Amino acid sequence: MQFEVLAQCSTTRARVSRMVMAHGTTLLPTFMPVATQAAIKGLTYQQMEDLGVTLILNNTYHLNLRPGIKVLKEAGGAHKFQGWRKNLLTVLIPKFFSDSGGFQLVSLSKFTKITEEGALFASPFTGEPTLLTPEESIAIQHTIGADIIMQLDDVVPSLTTGPRVEEAMWRSVRWLDRCITQHKKNNHDNQNLFAIIQGGLDNKLRDICLDEMIKRKDSVNGYAIGGLSGGEAKAQCASKLPEDRPRYSMGIGFAEDLLVCVALGVDMADCVFPTRTARFGVALTLRGPLNLRLNKYVQDLDPIDRDCPCPTCQSGTSRAFLHHNIGIETAAAHAVTQHNIVFQAKLMGGVRDAILNDTFPSFLHDFFREYYSGGSYPRWIVDALNTVGVNLLEGIKEVRVIDGSGANWDYAN
Amino acid sequence: MSSTTNTFNPIPSFTFHLRVSSLPKFSPRLGQAVITRPVHRTGDEAEKIEISTPGIICSTTRGVIEHLSRDHVKKTCSIKWVHVPFESFLQIDPPVPTRQDGSNPLHRFLGYSPSQHLLSLSLRDPADVRDMPANGNLFVAAQSSRGTRKVPPQAYRSYAAATMPDIVFSMPDVSFTPPPHSQKRINKSIERSTRWLASLLAPLNLVSSPVEPNSEHAATATNILPRFNVFLHMVGGIKEAARSAFASSLKEPLDVKESHVAQLETLDDGVSGYVFDLAPLRLALLAEQPRSLQSVLAAAASVYRPTDDSITHSFVSLVHASLQDLSAEKPRLVNTALSPHEMLVLIRDAGIDLFDTFWAQQAATWGFALDFRFPVRTENLLSHGDSPGQKQLGINIFDGRFATDFGRLAEHLMDRLEYSKHNSDLSEEDALGHATFCTCAACSPTWANDPLIHSSVDERTVPSEEEPAPPYTRAYIHHLLHTHEMSAHSLLAMHNITVMNAFMRGIRSILQYEPDRFSDEVARFQETYDGTLKALDDAKLCWAEVNLARGKGRIAREREASKSVEGLHKDSSSIDCEF
Repeated sequence: MQFEVLAQCSTTRARVSRMVMAHGTTLLPTFMPVATQAAIKGLTYQQMEDLGVTLILNNTYHLNLRPGIKVLKEAGGAHKFQGWRKNLLTVLIPKFFSDSGGFQLVSLSKFTKITEEGALFASPFTGEPTLLTPEESIAIQHTIGADIIMQLDDVVPSLTTGPRVEEAMWRSVRWLDRCITQHKKNNHDNQNLFAIIQGGLDNKLRDICLDEMIKRKDSVNGYAIGGLSGGEAKAQCASKLPEDRPRYSMGIGFAEDLLVCVALGVDMADCVFPTRTARFGVALTLRGPLNLRLNKYVQDLDPIDRDCPCPTCQSGTSRAFLHHNIGIETAAAHAVTQHNIVFQAKLMGGVRDAILNDTFPSFLHDFFREYYSGGSYPRWIVDALNTVGVNLLEGIKEVRVIDGSGANWDYAN
Repeated sequence: MSSTTNTFNPIPSFTFHLRVSSLPKFSPRLGQAVITRPVHRTGDEAEKIEISTPGIICSTTRGVIEHLSRDHVKKTCSIKWVHVPFESFLQIDPPVPTRQDGSNPLHRFLGYSPSQHLLSLSLRDPADVRDMPANGNLFVAAQSSRGTRKVPPQAYRSYAAATMPDIVFSMPDVSFTPPPHSQKRINKSIERSTRWLASLLAPLNLVSSPVEPNSEHAATATNILPRFNVFLHMVGGIKEAARSAFASSLKEPLDVKESHVAQLETLDDGVSGYVFDLAPLRLALLAEQPRSLQSVLAAAASVYRPTDDSITHSFVSLVHASLQDLSAEKPRLVNTALSPHEMLVLIRDAGIDLFDTFWAQQAATWGFALDFRFPVRTENLLSHGDSPGQKQLGINIFDGRFATDFGRLAEHLMDRLEYSKHNSDLSEEDALGHATFCTCAACSPTWANDPLIHSSVDERTVPSEEEPAPPYTRAYIHHLLHTHEMSAHSLLAMHNITVMNAFMRGIRSILQYEPDRFSDEVARFQETYDGTLKALDDAKLCWAEVNLARGKGRIAREREASKSVEGLHKDSSSIDCEF
């Protein structure tokens, strides 16, 4: 990987950088749509490329089950199998908890048992047990052929406390070493290995993990931070990571979360949220989400966002049309999916331009003023941005600071 | 009905010409249907859409070509004529599409392109044969998304006037109460359908026209009152006598004083085409079979599967009865023919010009990819791993044998990449008008190489291969189907519509260059391909299983299952659907 920082925000820790890998260039910060089972739900890869996406995510666990590694090998790798020609990142296991707004993935935890050797899964479909070792996880990702691959980590839910957290942290470090060893075999230089920082909410443990994994910097092409658990931990974490490696925050998708992460120094994030919420009829906008199933849109002939460059909005697809068909016709799901992917991509594009022009703090001010136009700013966002020198409350007269996640919803009125 | 919502709604002109007009009335024929859109300003070039016949019409549900986003509709050039049933919009009053302003409101609301697509409108969905409440003297019972609605002819007319489709189908009185229907009921159907046709044919009161008073269109505006381009549903059920009676009533001279149909000598004069909905006829014919046979025939997908030759021949007789005394020069349209075999017989024996692609689109939902050609090519007769005997019209991609099949969808139609290796000219049809390769986005995907750029540092560079993209593989689509991924259906829908279009191209080519061979080619096709579509039945069952396992409501079902059974182990099914 060629990684180059192009510009640094003079206030926050945000930066614009460029990653060049075997399947092309990706500019950071960026958001990665998730193609869990080798497809962005409902869309072809020609459509995906047209939307301006250059990096997507596949899930190794799912691909290993279906279609299976044998099929992928015969196809010549995941790029060829699914027909995507740009950059690909594989994660191993879907995480149990995503703190971004309460989306909980189907829990695989009752099927998993962790030992030093690896993770023992019982397949939810056949009941058969499979052992996933660090070596195996790398071998599978080599076959899949993704441009960025992840280490196998011993992940505990971020809210867990006690000795299990420390055990998992040290094991993740040991597993990283085994992953590195496996990765260096068989000449896979064109694939880039990322380490995953562990330690739950315990700052001391995270620091130890950071130090250990940074020691292995020369064998690692990037660092992932598993799970958002409040701005504080994120701030600590990202500030210690090396400047010359991309930083990946897993499972972040809400616009407000993405912007805070970027301000704290994160370069890339993935989440199923934008594409999933699209299928449920929620279109994302700078003024908050539109729940197109609500009756208030039944006669609304405006597009989701007149200024949005996505094919849905550009063809004048009205909210009324989407309301009529969402949840019933797959074509409506595709239309909102295209819109939400472009929303995320355009948001991050705006971020890149703002950092480049060193106007990122005012970008943040403008965004949040419009996004929380009701005048209530979540405290955690205000606090997190304060740690990097941005005072969201500055210059605003009528604003309340509220507790809670601050998730934006569209109400029926 | 508000007249202020639409400021510019001139009706496009519709013409249909037969290539050869001296043929016997019901022999196969070549034709050209043309929609010409009036110009907004004098000097502008008129937009034209030309559709060669025999040709296809794409079906829609709720205004949408199933599974296809607007960019996919645009990319699929086989999609030209799109049919829109209006009833799903009746849930609120006034229906939302009638509030769309601007020109071509129906196109605009639904996202079709006036330069690319011809839109026809009917009240009811031709493929919907569910039981309905009875129609009345003054209304048809229609199915909105929130229950049935009674639709009087004036209301239907106002919907058409507000949305301005290119072609309006008449609103017939067809009963969807369980058959058989009495003679009395059929007579009512004829009387009502005739009366309702008359109201539809009344001239339109268009409020404004943008054309300058001294332009050539001004003359048109004052001398000839504009009316819809109307296609007429031929009623009479499965009774030939009733159908003849309906045709007679259309030819009765009109009383000149009947001002609401001024400028027409007969109702038939105002009709631009004839429509036959096969679905209710199929039901009625099935109802006539002996009881024992009924359950057998009705078992596999009933009106969604072609039944047998005798039913197709009954359709031919009914078309003859309807059209015997009417002009041969007007286009004949059939809805819900359920196989290429049925279509070929209807072309050969009844001179049908247009068919909807309902069955092919339905097949895409069920994971069935069409793979056939007309005329049959000798190389097709080589067994490709099929058992000896008839070939299937396509493949059920759920089947386990496709898990590692990295070929394209249709064996018998090339993909652009392969075609480009043997041909420098990538034109989509050969000198005789046959399709050269499958142009669909699944077999011949094209990279636009013009992605959205989201920031000033984003690079415009795209991967440099000049070659066409490789086709989506059977293995990948097999994977998508089993993981309940929607993109499988988008790819299959585009593919199946394209294969149907290629099918029509082949038919037109034979009719143009070797018309004497047409009957023989039909026979050869019937011998080569199994017309019962058993493979489609298999696909439907596989699809239903995956849907149950992975579709809406599955989490609740899984919870139930795990309560009663240890673990989530599935029992095997008799069909080889790989899990």
